[in-house]
Amino acid sequence: MRFAAGVDVGSTQTKAVIMQENEHARIVARVLVDTGANVTKAAEHAFHAACRQAGLEAREIGFVVGTGYGRYKISFGHTQMTEISCHARGAHYLFPNTRTVIDMGGQDSKAISVGESGEVRDFVMNDKCAAGTGRFLSNAADVMGISLDEIGPLSLQATKPVKIATVCTVFVESDILSYLAQGKRGEDILGGVHQAIAKRTISLARRIPLDPEVTMTGGVARNTGMVCALEEVLGRKLQVSPEAHFTGAIGAALFALEKLDQSFEFGLWRTEHAAHGGN
Amino acid sequence: MRHTAGIDIGTALTKAVIVGGGNGEALQVLGRGMVKTGVHLEKAAAAALVEARDMARLGPRETPYVVATGFGRYTPGFRDTQVTEITSAARGAWFLFPDSSTVLDIGSQSTRAVGLANKGRVRAFKTNDKCAAGSGSFIVRAAKYLQVDMGKVGELALAAENPQPISSICAVLAESEIINHVSAGVSVEDILSGIYDSLASRAGLLLKRVNLTGELTFIGGVARQRGMVRALEQRLQVKVNVPDDCEYVCALGAALLGLSRLEKAIGTAAGVTA
Repeated sequence: MRFAAGVDVGSTQTKAVIMQENEHARIVARVLVDTGANVTKAAEHAFHAACRQAGLEAREIGFVVGTGYGRYKISFGHTQMTEISCHARGAHYLFPNTRTVIDMGGQDSKAISVGESGEVRDFVMNDKCAAGTGRFLSNAADVMGISLDEIGPLSLQATKPVKIATVCTVFVESDILSYLAQGKRGEDILGGVHQAIAKRTISLARRIPLDPEVTMTGGVARNTGMVCALEEVLGRKLQVSPEAHFTGAIGAALFALEKLDQSFEFGLWRTEHAAHGGN
Repeated sequence: MRHTAGIDIGTALTKAVIVGGGNGEALQVLGRGMVKTGVHLEKAAAAALVEARDMARLGPRETPYVVATGFGRYTPGFRDTQVTEITSAARGAWFLFPDSSTVLDIGSQSTRAVGLANKGRVRAFKTNDKCAAGSGSFIVRAAKYLQVDMGKVGELALAAENPQPISSICAVLAESEIINHVSAGVSVEDILSGIYDSLASRAGLLLKRVNLTGELTFIGGVARQRGMVRALEQRLQVKVNVPDDCEYVCALGAALLGLSRLEKAIGTAAGVTA
């Protein structure tokens, strides 16, 4: 029985997934931790916690692929792959008919056009501006004094969503405060915020072919309000897995499983820059 | 003596200036006031005006002609008229520095570059109000992450030895970058200096599009920060004028425009040209 792991070090959260080699690869452990200030420690922590969850020793993991913005800071990784490739691969594993992935993470958002085997055909990404990312939503939640878990469900109860005129995360704080002062309901404000982000994300996504099925991945996929808002703007249902935020780590683990046959020096951790077609 | 009041309702601060003059009398600034805008714009406008009135020692019957400007200019029900902050910035800056050819106004949430025609009129303008990164909010947030008092940011940047460039173009994403620099031991002075340079570079792009030539007059709250002034001088290689009461220049401009309008309406030839 052989095992491989994928570690996705995001700007906000770090995810580790261990998979077992099989007819159809099986997930045996998944762990999510906050990335915090020390990226290397976060990766180690997530990986070791995943090993414990699976009841395995670290040395039983045959290959580790790192991904995410912190992928070069993983001390125990064998190689790295871009999060574009890993999200495409992971989404394909969860929903084999995926042809488009919309990924909304803590500080970036991407749209990926995916081929039949989960390979990347095209992609577009925003990592320069916090608008349209999880950060925008968490800022809005902070300003309103509401927890991140609640903003989605509350937004779904909007009856008259407010108009959010700005896309800037900083400026929207003033907008929200003004609306609160005007006595607007929190639900309506959140409805407007989610709509604004959905519009922005879909307009980014429209720069690549948006073929069905469309799968949503990344931490923001846990926000049901966001999923609904995206579906409304897109005019189509989105596939969302309960494992959505582990998609990158799953993709990385799948790549790692493929590498199990590659020879490597036991005990010597080498990191190579992996260039893969389509990235 | 006629009195006019200019009230500049900005996104962070509301400023009022009362000007007296006309009818052959010399123009004077008689009073000014400044309050936080908050979420009730009309209240802020009224409060700033009260401060300015007190300072000007206006009697209860002396009602100035009120000209509103700034993003909240349509809000005060008690105003007589309103003008854009582009027009008022140009007029105020020209009054203080008659040789200005360009005005840069960096406020809390927007940056404006205004090219001047003769007599303080607007020839061209370009604004950025979509993105916090080119505006005062960026500095306020950075000061918060760095745990530095806003009153000291300008001076601290002047003491930089090795300015640390900021690569993020987003004020929110720059937070992570700044935190990383701090963990890596980069000094607060060097970080602030890098931030000012980033802002100066953005301002430079806007100014280029209105053809920056000759003297630049820099107004708005951020002009108080000497680190920003130096960054502009270094980047743009032009003479930069900074008025003493840089936050009040738009309110002043609005008040002056009000006076001109009154003169015209009353039909007297005034020392102030429209």
